[in-house]
Order: sequence, then structure tokens, then C-alpha cells
Amino acid sequence: MNQISFPLISFLIWLPILGGVILLFVREDYTQLIKLISYSFSILVLLLSLYLLVIFDTSSSDLQFQEKHTWISSLNIYYHLAVDGFSVVFILLTTVISLLIVLFSFTEERSQNNKFISLFLILEGLILGVFSAFDSILFYIFFEAMLIPLFLIIGIWGGSNRVYATIKFFIYTLVGSVLMLVSLIYLSIESKSFFIHDFYSLKLDLETQIYLFLAFLFAFGIKIPMWPVHTWLPDAHVQAPSSGSVILAAVLLKVGGYGMIRFLLPITPEAGIFLNTVIVPLSLIAIVYISFVALAQTDMKKLIAYSSVAHMGFVTLGIFLTFNILVPANNTNTEMILIGLQGSIMQMISHGLISAGLFMCIGIIYSRTHSRSIETQSGVGQVMPIFSALMMFFLLSNSGLPGTSGFVGEFMVLISSIEVNGLYAVLASTSLVLAAAYSLWLGKRVLFGEVSTDTIKGMSNLRYDEFWCLFILMLLVILFGIQPNLILDISHASSNNMISIILNRI
Amino acid sequence: MSLGISALIILLSPLVGALVLIFYKDKSEIKSSVIANISIFISFIFSLMLFIIFLFNSSTTYNYSNLVWFESNNLIFTFGLLVDSLSVIMSFIVTFISMFVHIYSIGYMKNDKSFNRFLIYTNFFTFSMLVIIFSNNFLQLFIGWELVGLSSYLLIGFWYKKPTAIYANMKAFLVNRVGDIGLLLGVILIFINISSLDYMRFFDSLPDLSNTSISLGSLSFDLLPIVALLLFTGAAAKSAQIPLHFWLPDSMEGPTPISALIHAATMVTAGIFMVARLSPLYDLSGYVLDIVLFIGVLTAFLMGLVALVQTDIKRIIAYSTISQLGYMTVALGASYYSFAIFHLLTHAFFKALLFLCAGSIILKCHHEQSIEKMGGLREVMPYTYYTYLVGALSLVGFPMFSGFFSKDLIIDLFKFHGDYLTYTILISGIFVTTIYTFKIFFKVFFGPNKLKIKKTDQIEHSDVIIIPLLGLAVPSIVIGFALFDSALFNDFFKSSITDSGRLETIYNDFVRSSLSFTLHSFLTFNFLALVSGLILSYILYYKNYQIPKNVTQKLESIIIYVKREYGFTHLSDVFFPRIFNNLSNMLWKKTDVAFLDNFIVNGIANRIRIFSSSLRLIQTGYIYHYAFTMIIGLLILLLFFYNF
Repeated sequence: MNQISFPLISFLIWLPILGGVILLFVREDYTQLIKLISYSFSILVLLLSLYLLVIFDTSSSDLQFQEKHTWISSLNIYYHLAVDGFSVVFILLTTVISLLIVLFSFTEERSQNNKFISLFLILEGLILGVFSAFDSILFYIFFEAMLIPLFLIIGIWGGSNRVYATIKFFIYTLVGSVLMLVSLIYLSIESKSFFIHDFYSLKLDLETQIYLFLAFLFAFGIKIPMWPVHTWLPDAHVQAPSSGSVILAAVLLKVGGYGMIRFLLPITPEAGIFLNTVIVPLSLIAIVYISFVALAQTDMKKLIAYSSVAHMGFVTLGIFLTFNILVPANNTNTEMILIGLQGSIMQMISHGLISAGLFMCIGIIYSRTHSRSIETQSGVGQVMPIFSALMMFFLLSNSGLPGTSGFVGEFMVLISSIEVNGLYAVLASTSLVLAAAYSLWLGKRVLFGEVSTDTIKGMSNLRYDEFWCLFILMLLVILFGIQPNLILDISHASSNNMISIILNRI
Repeated sequence: MSLGISALIILLSPLVGALVLIFYKDKSEIKSSVIANISIFISFIFSLMLFIIFLFNSSTTYNYSNLVWFESNNLIFTFGLLVDSLSVIMSFIVTFISMFVHIYSIGYMKNDKSFNRFLIYTNFFTFSMLVIIFSNNFLQLFIGWELVGLSSYLLIGFWYKKPTAIYANMKAFLVNRVGDIGLLLGVILIFINISSLDYMRFFDSLPDLSNTSISLGSLSFDLLPIVALLLFTGAAAKSAQIPLHFWLPDSMEGPTPISALIHAATMVTAGIFMVARLSPLYDLSGYVLDIVLFIGVLTAFLMGLVALVQTDIKRIIAYSTISQLGYMTVALGASYYSFAIFHLLTHAFFKALLFLCAGSIILKCHHEQSIEKMGGLREVMPYTYYTYLVGALSLVGFPMFSGFFSKDLIIDLFKFHGDYLTYTILISGIFVTTIYTFKIFFKVFFGPNKLKIKKTDQIEHSDVIIIPLLGLAVPSIVIGFALFDSALFNDFFKSSITDSGRLETIYNDFVRSSLSFTLHSFLTFNFLALVSGLILSYILYYKNYQIPKNVTQKLESIIIYVKREYGFTHLSDVFFPRIFNNLSNMLWKKTDVAFLDNFIVNGIANRIRIFSSSLRLIQTGYIYHYAFTMIIGLLILLLFFYNF
């Protein structure tokens, strides 16, 4: 077991929260001081997470850098933090995106910027908590607490219909997680422990598994979101400020996928196989149906929000197909399924980067024209050529262009789906055309063509900080497109281990 | 080893050029064109070198994998280089055409605001095309495949203010993506069966795979034909074969040098190249070859007819390209893959030449593209006149010109094999080709000078436009003859394509030598069709004989039908967009918003609100209400106890 002398993960979690709390006490007109504090904390956290990556042993699937302290001894609850391959991947995504969000948040004018950024730092800490908590109650607390900063971000700095959107978003996700809490308590009573890995060795009968499966599916399916419980997402995105949309799409949705891998796969595999013909079609519906819905959108943010749901369809598809290794009759090649599971992770990381880029692009347009309409705006390319090139790049990666990270995950999930059932693959692969259709349609309408309004004619050039946000994301998208091993190696041992855990359950 | 390094230089030089163009501060036209041209020139020199080496020793193959994309336990995805006679000849074609198109662009794109961007795209395209050509595995093939699609998308929409251009490029990308679904599924099917995407591994395991079958639902299919068919879907989209052809004519919205480079000579031939590259697979794919042949014949003939009724000079040549690609597909379907590649080679030169001539004409006519409005340019632009004539003779397959050797070979195949139906259709194809090719020739260069274009002292345009025309005219005349005996029938492709045995038979029994093939050709139906087409074209478009009125009227309705590509135009521009539009709007407004969101989600919220607001009425806040309830409750309780 990998041990270091100081509690690295606690630092990762509490440092941004500390930074956020400090920011609350800074006067909002001290812009320089706010910048100094927020940059230094988010850069520090990023450096810590990179340090974590460097000393993380990718060849092992064990929990590393464990911190275990008694918290509520009467209930056997621990303050138990650790990381494995899955955690590290998402921790890195979170720290990178958070830094870019801080950078991006200074490009927009708003009142009380210190509180705005403070909430993002707190949110960053809580998300990092979700990804590294291995006591299920601790996990649950971080999972729930995460909602609060975002609730405030949308509720205070959101658009005109923000109250409706926040309440919907909050209640919706809360309903799901309450069911999860019940399951966690049940599991802990059975295993006499709240440690997540102890749940993995429980022998549960099929009926219990199905109940647990549905509860977890509801919790994480809303979060990710899956069809048909996705309708909170477009509303939340449309009302959220740009930075809020970025963190929501890039990181918060991934909590759903992470939770599925952490809970659904190892704890309820038999239920997963029993319900496979129900849940896999849900993912396929998300891919095909939601892509069509995206095609009809007239609001840029809604289009990208729906596109997120479609892309998350690939994630859930890759995860749900993993259950098929348990059906010996299918003669399924475990190696191909492993690629699908890894593909889900790749798809989440890739979507995190690409959707962040796209929401920033939309934010940049919105901050200049105060409109997100696809119908009435065109010709941005003539006024802001560099910006348009970058946005076009993200749109193309969104459509899964090879050479960008957008292709890798979809390709890998398609491998496992063709292994399980050719029909799944045929349906999922229509995304190749549909995603290209709505992405390019957006680009065609907004970026190309003649300049449609005076507002667009008067758009100011791309600022340096805006440029760097997009440029860094672009470099990452290309890097992971050409060298996906950089991501996949981190989670490889854990995925392998996950497969063997599932196989050992029967 | 040196082969590998040369191939790597060929591959990377255009990419480096593109990157330098992006990041180099000085974006002046001269510096940009120097950078772009040098990078392509380096590629060309090395390609030429490799080509010459392979001409003398074509049995060498060099297969090298190194760069790992990702790995998962024992499954590894790599990038690599495969250098053999097929990839060498393709890279020779691509870099040759690319070089001349780059030179031409200096003149053609002069004073365009985005000159630099244009060169970035063309350099990037050349790189992507070379990625496909030198690929030694399916993954890299697919990646290159999509990247050329991207370059094509960017270049068709190069003038992004033009509504027609940004419509055409989207159409092109989406149609190609439809084909890519097939390609990607085929590639993945291969992967899950042999756990590798390497060509050589695939070819080695073909004998085992020929007995494998796959099941979809309750149906069961043989694996190899399905894979071959899926891959051919991709090829058909890229190479504009019916029914995925309709993006290519619209792609003419892009700058003319691009039409020459991408949409005539190189990218559209990627599909042909892929099938030839996978010849071991297609040899075993049975009925799929018949489908390929059928589609090829259909495309070759029907699209030639469409070219006949067009008036836009670029669109005529575009339909001609589709039709010629049809001939290549025919050769593939007959499993004479080398013939397809040979026609690809000659076609690349003369079709690029024709497009560049068209570009030169369009420039002279101030961007007028309708041949009906042109005329009398023979005096005004002699270079274009003569080079167009060379290209035209090559296209129609006049004996001794390049196109003759490649096209007549494909057509005569069917005479040799006794498939007279196909033979007849293909020969009528020659007739049609000759008419439309010389329609342009007579209408543009002869007759009255309708646009009143004056002859200037300076020859036509600048040298940068003339040089490529001459540079492409030479191979349009000689390359067919030069490579006929010495390469095609001298086992040049033996190490890369599986049809060498068949080639030998046809050479010994039928062709004998290039000279006898040529002399014999004057006595064939091919030549008869050509000459009669030429005469008809001369009568109709040079002498301008009026066709009797009643014939014209009858023809009118047929012409309109052909002009609409037998209904394909309606399908692609009206029917499918409308279906997609209605479906997506219905799904969004009806299912998503009305049903899921308003009815279910907000509906549940409303139920709860109604329920709780009625429940709230109990909490009135009046003490006497509560007291009254308590008394009643107490009474009920007492009653309960009394009974007990």
C-alpha cells in the first residue's frame, strides 16, 4: 500500500474549501486580491492533484493514500479517504476544469464575484470529496453537499427563470439520492460496515439486488442524466451562468457515471444482467432519441445540454454492457467488455473537456450579444475568426472526430456493444451522423454565413484569458485523442480489478 | 529502414508545413506559398524516389508499427506504416497532384483574404490522405478517412459567407458520415474477431474467418461478406457511388483547385484504394463483388447521363468524375483491383488537368461558370485550349492517351469474359462521355465570344497557372503507355494486390502488348462509340444544328428528370431534411417537453402541490376546529374501547 507522510487527499479536499471560505471575507471590489487568492488556491490544488498522479501507482488496483479516522464511532462511520484508478482520473478532471473555470469567471462582469468564485472553490472541494470518499456515508454527504453551491450559483447568478430551474434541479436530484441513502443503510446493516469495498463481498439474493439496483440507478441515472430522467438538465443549463454550465456538464454529470461504476457494477451485477434488456435500451434511446431532440433546438445551450445527454448515453451503455461478462452462454470476450468499460471513462473525461469548451464558447458569445439564439445569429466567424476556429474545433470533437478525444470513448464503447449485440452497435453508431448533424448545424448557423445583426458586427475580439481557457482545453482534447493511453493507463488496473470482482460474485 | 524513414518524411512534411503556416507570424502571400510549396515538394521528391525504387523492385514491402494509441491487457492499437507498391504509387499520385495544385493556387487564390488558411487546409488534407495511404491497420485508415472528410468539409466551405457553400459542405460531411458508420462497424467487427486491426494479421487469419458467421437477432450471416459490404459502404460514400453520390456535385462550391485536388484526383479515390488494399478480403466476399459491380455500372452510366444535361462547367466535370469512379468500381467488382488503381492513376492526372483548365476558364470569364454563356476562347487562351484538348482526349479514351489504356482495359474485360450486357452499358458510357466532354470543348472554345473577353498581351494568366496545366498534360498523354507494360502487367502490384494471376491470363490471352492493344482498339466498338460521340457532339455543339422542335419537347421532360438525378436531388435536399426536421421537432416538443417534462415531472409536482394544498385545509388555525376534531377523535376512541 502506498503511503505518504501527510494527508494528501484531505489537503486536496479542504484546501479549495478553505480558499472559498477566505474569499467570502474579502471585499468584492478588491479584484486583485480576489484573483490572487482564487488563482493560488486553484493552482495549488491542481499541482497537488498532479503530484498525486505522479506518485500514484497505476499498476495497482488497491486503494492508495488511505486516511482512515473514526468519525462517529457508535455508528461505525469513518472519515475514510483513499484513491484508486477511477478516482484519480476524475480528480484530475475536476482540478483542471476548476482552474479553467476560475480563469474564465474573471472574464465576465458580475456583481459579488468573490462569492461567485468562492462557491466554485467550495464546490471543487466537495466534488473531490465525492471522488475520494470510501466510507459510504461520507460519500453520501459529499454527494448531497455538492448540490448546495450549485443551487446557489444558479439561484443567484442565473437567468430570468432561475428559481424554477434550481428548484427542479435540486428536488429532482435529491429524490434520487434519498433512495440511495436507504440502500446504503441497508447495505451497511448487512455488512456491518460503511466501507464501500465491504459491500462488494456481500452475498445478496436477486430480489434484493434488483431493489438496490433500481435505487442506485435512480440516484446516478438522474445525475448523469439518463433518459427519461434528463429533463432537469436543459433547464438548469439554460438558467445557469456560463461557469455554472461548465462545471455542471464537465464534472457534476460525471459523478453519476462514477457512482455507477463504484456501486452498480460490483454490488448488484446479477440484477444488472437481469435488467440488461431494459437498461441498455435506455442508453440507446438517450443516444438516438436525444440526438434528434438536440437537432431541433434553437437555443445554443439547450442544444449542447441535449448533446451531453446523448454523449452520456455512451457512458451508461459502456457500463451496462459490462454486466454481460456474467452470461457464459453469450460467450462474451471479457477483454472487449473491458475496453467498453474503459471507454465509458474515456468518454466521460473527453466529454468533460469538450463540453467545457463548448459552454465557454457559448458564454463568450452570450457575454457579447446577450443572446443564445441559433436562429437569429450568424456570421460570428467574420467578426471573431480565432474564436470561431476554436468553437468549430470543439463542435467537431463533439461529433466524435478521430484525432480528438471525442472519438476514442465512442469507438471503445462500440467495440463492446458489437461484442454483445450487433443491433446495439448499429443503433449507437447512428450517433456518428446525428452528432455531426447537430454540431455542424450549430456551427453553420452561428459561425458561418453573413453577419446577421449589428450586435454581432460590434462583437469585441477574443480576450487573452478567454483564448487561453479554450486553447488549453483544445490541446488536452487533441492530446487525449492521439494518446488516450495517458488516461486509460490510470484506470486500467482498477477496471481490470472491477471485472474480476464482478466475475467473482457468482 | 530507409524506406520507412522516407515514408515518414513524405507523411509528416505536409503536416509540418501546415503547423508552420498556423504559427508563423508573417502571413504574407509569398511567404505562405513558399512554405506550403516547399513542404509538398519535399513529399513529392521522396514519393518519386520511392516510386522509382519500386518500379525496379516492386516485391519489397515494409511494414512497421510503433506508435501505440492505447492498449488494454494484450490488445494493442498502434499506428504504423506500410510501404509497398500500392502505397507508393498512391503517394506518388497524391503528392504529384498536390504539388501542382499548390502552385496553381498561388495564382488562383491570389488576393484572397484567407490565402494562408487555404494553404493550411490543403497541406492538412495532403497529410490526411497520406495517413490513409501509408496506413498498415484499420484504425489509422479510419482516422485518416475522417480527417480527409474534415479537410473536404473545411475546403468546400472555404468561402464561409456563401450560403450555398456552407450548405454543400455540411451535406458532404454528413453523407460521408453515413458511409463511415459502415466503415466503423466493419472495422470493429474485424477487431472483435481477430483481436487486432493490423492488415497483415487480418490477411493471415482470413482462411479461418471464412468459416465464421455472426448473428444479428435470429439471423445468421457469414462474417466476411458482411465485413466487405460494411467497408464498401464507407468506400461508396467517399468515392461518390450511387446511392451516396449526391454530395459530390454540390462540393463544387469550393475553390476550383480543391475540386481538382480533393474532389477529382485524390480524396474521392480513397474508397477505390481501400478496396484494392483489402483485395484478399474482397476475393473471399462472394456476392458482395456482384453488388460492387452493379453499383459501379449503375454509377458509370447514369451519372454520365446527368453530366450530359448540366450547363455549369464544374458540375459537368464533377458528374464525369462520379461516372469515372463508377468505372473504377466496375473494375473492383470484377476483382481486377489493379485495373481500378491503374484507372485511378490516369484519371487523377487528366481529371485534375480538366478541373484546372476549368478554373483557368472561370478566372478568365470573371467567375462565370455556365458554358452556355461562354464561347470563342480558343484564340484568347491557347494554353488552356490545348491542355483541355489533351485532358478531353484522355478522358474519352482516345487511343494512345493515358485514359485509353486504363479505361478500355476495364471495358474490354467484359468482352473477354463474355459479359456482354455490362460491356454494352460501359460502351454506351464512352459514347455519353465523349458527347459531354466535347460539348464543353466546342461551346467554350469555339463559336462567338459571348462574354467579349479580349486577348491580352500577357499569355492567359500568370505562369503559376500555366505550369500546372502543362505539368499535368504530360502525364495525361504518356503515363498510361509508360506504365502499361512496364508496371501494370509487369507484376508491379503483385506484392500488394491479389489479382496478379488473373492479370497474367488476360495479358497473355487478350492484351499481348500495349502496341497491339492500341492498334487493335481502332477496330473495336469502343472506338466506334467514341467516334460517333465525337461526331454527334460536333454536329450539336459546333455546327449548332437545331434539333427538330417535336424532338426537343419530348426530350425536355426526360432532361428535367435526369437533371434531378432521377429523383435523388429531391430525396437529399427536400425529403430527408424534412423528415429529420419533423421527427426531431415532434420528439422534442411532443415527447420531451409535453410528455416527459410537463406531464410526468411537472405533473407529479403539481399533484403533490394539489394534494398538499388540500391537506393544508385541515390546518385551519382555529382553536375550535381543533377542539372539535379532538372531541370527535376522543369519541371514536371511546367507542372503540367500549366494543372491546
